[in-house]
Amino acid sequence: MRERWREMMMTRLTWALSGAFVIMGLGLMASVLVGSWPILMAPHSLGRLLSPLWDPLQGQWGILPFIVGSSVVTLLALCLAVPFALASAISVSRMLPPVVRPHATRVLAALTAIPSVVFGWWGLQMVVPVVRNLGGGSGFSLLAAAIVLAVMLWPTLSFLFAEALQSVSPSYVDASLALGATPDQTLVRILIPCAMPQLINAFLVAVARGLGETMAVQMVIGGQVAMPQGLLSPGATLTTQLLTDAALYPPGTRGHAALDVMALALVAAMAILVRISARWRVGT
Amino acid sequence: MAPNIRTESLTVSYRRTVVLRQISLEAVGGEVLALIGPSGCGKSTFLRALNRLVEETPGAHVTGRVFLGEMNIYSSAVDVTELRRRVGMVFQAPNPFPFSIFDNVAYGPRLRGVSDAAELRRIVERSLQEAALWDEVRGKLRRPALTLSGGQQQRLCIARALAVRPEVLLLDEPTAALDPVSTEKIEELVSNLRGRYTIVMVTHNLRQAARVSDRTAFFDDGSLVEVGLTRQIFTAPRDPRTEQYLTGRYFP
Amino acid sequence: MNQGRVLHWFALLVALGAAIVFLGLLTDTIREGLPHLTWQFLTTAPDERRGGGGIAPEIVNTVVMVGGALLVTAPLGLVVAIYQAEWQGRVHDGGVIDQVRATWLSVPSVVVGFIVYRVAVAWWHWPLSLATGGLALAVMNWPVMVTVSISALKRVPHAYREASLALGATRFDTVRRVVLPAALAELIDGWGWALARLAGESAALIITAGINVSAHWSVWGPGETLAVYIWYVRTEGVGADAGGVAAATALTLMMFIAVTLWLSGRLADWRRRAGH
Repeated sequence: MRERWREMMMTRLTWALSGAFVIMGLGLMASVLVGSWPILMAPHSLGRLLSPLWDPLQGQWGILPFIVGSSVVTLLALCLAVPFALASAISVSRMLPPVVRPHATRVLAALTAIPSVVFGWWGLQMVVPVVRNLGGGSGFSLLAAAIVLAVMLWPTLSFLFAEALQSVSPSYVDASLALGATPDQTLVRILIPCAMPQLINAFLVAVARGLGETMAVQMVIGGQVAMPQGLLSPGATLTTQLLTDAALYPPGTRGHAALDVMALALVAAMAILVRISARWRVGT
Repeated sequence: MAPNIRTESLTVSYRRTVVLRQISLEAVGGEVLALIGPSGCGKSTFLRALNRLVEETPGAHVTGRVFLGEMNIYSSAVDVTELRRRVGMVFQAPNPFPFSIFDNVAYGPRLRGVSDAAELRRIVERSLQEAALWDEVRGKLRRPALTLSGGQQQRLCIARALAVRPEVLLLDEPTAALDPVSTEKIEELVSNLRGRYTIVMVTHNLRQAARVSDRTAFFDDGSLVEVGLTRQIFTAPRDPRTEQYLTGRYFP
Repeated sequence: MNQGRVLHWFALLVALGAAIVFLGLLTDTIREGLPHLTWQFLTTAPDERRGGGGIAPEIVNTVVMVGGALLVTAPLGLVVAIYQAEWQGRVHDGGVIDQVRATWLSVPSVVVGFIVYRVAVAWWHWPLSLATGGLALAVMNWPVMVTVSISALKRVPHAYREASLALGATRFDTVRRVVLPAALAELIDGWGWALARLAGESAALIITAGINVSAHWSVWGPGETLAVYIWYVRTEGVGADAGGVAAATALTLMMFIAVTLWLSGRLADWRRRAGH
């Protein structure tokens, strides 16, 4: 009797907490949606939102500079990080002796736990002066942010790429070598194509991390709200602007709603990435 | 004429463990040589030493000599990839690449730079016919290889190996993962390939060795116990260990 | 062995280049931070006017907020995972809970901070404090805990559950006596990783916990953490030796994270050996 009562209570408890989990998760999404409603529903909302002018004093809330900043920084960072990460993954999974391999993988995994603020600090120290010397200006720029982000994404990408390559069945490698393929041919024609779904998934994870990254980027990008004029010009991203302005506009103001729109854009982008990555997982 | 393949005092060790000891064995051109013996006796390693695949295992060390025809395959002048083209291999579990049927068979020729579509088609068709799979996959060559049944997949792997025109075929328990009907088809195929290729085949299935091989070699604990005509080995083995193994009374 | 390995060697070269850059970053932190890392630094409060000072309150704040958030969300996440893996029978990939979990997990931390700021600070009038920051960390960590727990439960062979149920055990008993002990090693591993991740969090905390410390510690007092302090010192700080202080703080934080990962890994390994 007591057992049945306990079983029933546990059932209800797990059910109730799962319900709370779903409600809270949906609440988070709803919160940014409702918060951005006043701006989204205003006349000509899309045109005004996508304008390049962010001027709180004039009531101009164009978020285009931040969308451009986020996209450019993330894309450039990935372009820089992917070749290095792929090379590292190949080295770890195909070149290192098998005895060392698990340790190398563990080191990579541990490096992914380095806080992003440390990368930002390092960017201030090393990257910004270099960019200043090479390109002139203050050095605080989209380029500096992309470099810092690339360094930050390298361990994550390398770790996930290595996992992807190691997931390919060794019997494929044996078969390829037995047919007279060189190790290089086996890498290009068997390992990478067979690991492609996982490689793409790893890439999408890195895109998500890059888009959502705040600190490492904020510390070196310069925080300029005008449209960036090139890679060497300072700028801002959706996340950095949210960070610097979150406490600036109280709820109910236009500015707060504009921040909600930026949060909504981020959440929507993430949701899309999650969907795409789920599709790739199914495809394997 | 398919070449002989002969080992002289072949010894293989992984780090400090010796897994093959002083094996001197010859497969005569065109014959089917079966390798039998308890699990872990080194027969798969022996097979992998014949195309130098054993070297891909880190820590493996090979001494002794292996002759393919007149060529010592372990001499430093030998191009490993060229050697492996001449010595094809089929593995225990069917392992077609996750590509289409066509791309699987065309994999080897493409490695050698064959890119002409008509030429590739001809090679693929010929190889599939030789592996007795053509009739079942004709018109479906663009389908993923993994949609085939296990037995078909294994014959596809044989076709893939044949597509590079090898002279020797190494079969590592090719029917271990298959049902009886597929097994019979593979055995029939092996019988048909006899004469055109020198075939060395590892098997756990003694009846299979008796059915398809010309000669049989019995391995135990890394050593070659005896080798002889299959009929002789199965009816009048010279070594008591062979007899015990064949009658199921062998407990090493 | 080395025929046709040109690409491989090239990859190794490129990888070494990347590793050297990374190593440079680490040694740079150590070289600059180590001289500052004294006992006094670890046990005194920051002193901005005279420059330098220590990071004692930041250490306490980090431990309290991160520990509190983990203690609250670990059981909450485990229960949600148990509901899916044990009560529903199987985890619906793409089910409602799974979709919510995946989306929530991907929300950037600064967005979580922004929402928590609106709800807790603007609506409920909570101060920028340890409590608010802890709430933000908890909101961020709940889906992580669900994910960690689900993957740990998934690794428990189904046969264990069937064996237990076949012996007449209730579902609750099966979970408590069979599934959870078998999953514990993976759970410890996952909790360690979550702890490390939370300790490095800063964006959400800048918004919700504030960027200073008070002389009188309280849950409702401002709660700057180590990670936030690094950011503050380097971007807003005016002290003369800001570089050294930031490096030493970064070093402390990374050591804290390394020790956390190492300890949880060892503990998980020990559990694994005990279990099998």
